[in-house]
Amino acid sequence: MKLVYRGAEADIFSDEWGGEGAIFKFRKPLPYRHPELDAEIRAQRTVREAEIIHDAKAAGVNAPSLYYVSQPESLIVMEEINGPRLKSLLSSPGRDPEGISFDFGVTVGRLHRGGIMHGDLTTSNVLVDRAGVRLIDFGLSAHSIKVEDHAVDLRLIKETLAGAHSKIAAVVMASFMKGYASEVGEARAKTVGRKLVEIERRGRYARLE
Amino acid sequence: MRGNLCVLGIESTAHTFSASVTKENEKVLSDVKDVYVPPEGSGIHPTEAAKHHALVAAKVIKEALSASGVKAGDLDAVAYAMGPGLGPCLRVGAVSARTMALALGRPLVPVNHAIGHIELGCMLTGAKSPLVLLISGGHTMVISCSAGMWRVLGETLDLTLGQLLDQLGRHFGYSSPCGRRIEEAASRSHRYLRLPYTVKGNDVSFSGLITAAKRLVDVGEPFEDVCFSVQESAFATTVEVTERALAFTGSKEVMVVGGVAANKRLSEMLNVMVERHSARLSVVPLRYSGDCGAQIAWTGLLAFKEGVTIPVEKSVIRQSWRLDTVPLPWRTAA
Repeated sequence: MKLVYRGAEADIFSDEWGGEGAIFKFRKPLPYRHPELDAEIRAQRTVREAEIIHDAKAAGVNAPSLYYVSQPESLIVMEEINGPRLKSLLSSPGRDPEGISFDFGVTVGRLHRGGIMHGDLTTSNVLVDRAGVRLIDFGLSAHSIKVEDHAVDLRLIKETLAGAHSKIAAVVMASFMKGYASEVGEARAKTVGRKLVEIERRGRYARLE
Repeated sequence: MRGNLCVLGIESTAHTFSASVTKENEKVLSDVKDVYVPPEGSGIHPTEAAKHHALVAAKVIKEALSASGVKAGDLDAVAYAMGPGLGPCLRVGAVSARTMALALGRPLVPVNHAIGHIELGCMLTGAKSPLVLLISGGHTMVISCSAGMWRVLGETLDLTLGQLLDQLGRHFGYSSPCGRRIEEAASRSHRYLRLPYTVKGNDVSFSGLITAAKRLVDVGEPFEDVCFSVQESAFATTVEVTERALAFTGSKEVMVVGGVAANKRLSEMLNVMVERHSARLSVVPLRYSGDCGAQIAWTGLLAFKEGVTIPVEKSVIRQSWRLDTVPLPWRTAA
């Protein structure tokens, strides 16, 4: 088993499962967290991730296929996706950031229309392969049709773009919103967008005018 | 502009009135402060704190100058904390700084208090462009520098860590700031009481946590157990979002600044976390983790060197002034 990525809460290994390339996602105990709290969070997020991946696929979102889930080991085995992260696509010159952002918007719109908030939509958790935009890492996801929760998803995307892709952030966000609106409808996209601004204003020391 | 610039800085955003003299080569020459202490069981009342600042301002500035060995006439500029912070408190610092600038005929330099924490931290710890965890009474933010601006990667959606600890302490009858007494009480317990753990993407929220914690105090749970549990829950969420940002940016340098950086349990947790990512943790020395004049004087010096000044008649204060809107010419120039 080969360690391919050390994330914030999980170690990701690559191996085989029934002859197919597979990803083994272990939520390892985080030694800085109180053991009781840590065990509870890992178990909860493992189960939730598996459940929501299933529901996201039913909603038409291209999430990875699940092979195996073990709560005691905090382990999920799933399809290996062979494609770059959106983060590196947006950082490499010569790509078409607008087209890919539009598709990303469509995918998130579809997820929201299916009544799911992702909860961790950084550009690290979006992969692009031959099938198009793929979403991963549903550990903080939840069932929700609330405008507020959907706006929280968009806020994180915006935050990540400003932080890591500041030069193209505005362009990417604009075409993301076009794709998003094409899926959820103009009216809903506007409502969520307005809520996003409201959430930003709640930020510490944000200008209120 | 001549070499080895020398700048006086004045800090007065909240409970601390402080003045400091910094010099380009010798760094911090002096840092004198006088802290407003509210009555037991209460927090900072802005106008009361401002009255305190007005009373001590002249004394603190005089002491900062004499301790530095620099003559007032040899100063190159006067920097002040323009914001963000409590209006009445900011005004006292601004008036003091304007007075000094006019009397000495030297330019005035506006400084963002939060950026002051970060730049002083970088200078003291030798960190170049770290992922920053800024935790204080006013801020709880994970920040990194990109394309010449500090960018917020994650932050609190409601209370700051400092407010969380202060509100818990005050509920028990202490006066702000309560961080040290809560840390001391927590160190006497190992009993974990389940409290809300709220991470939303890269953001944290403490409003549910404080409500639940106050309720535990009210039903008679021992105060040290509540303090222990609040620290464990709140710090773990904070470290988790820091870890998320670290994994995302791939940074190898984490720096923690702000008043709550003084908490030992928190730096212990951060140390364990950064080790997993082979990163280095820099903690600002205790003496400079809280609000101080040096953060304003040093950042004022960096800004002044790049030509940042403000005419006295335009030198307003800004109670709301997010750090991710402030250009950093000294970082873009390099």
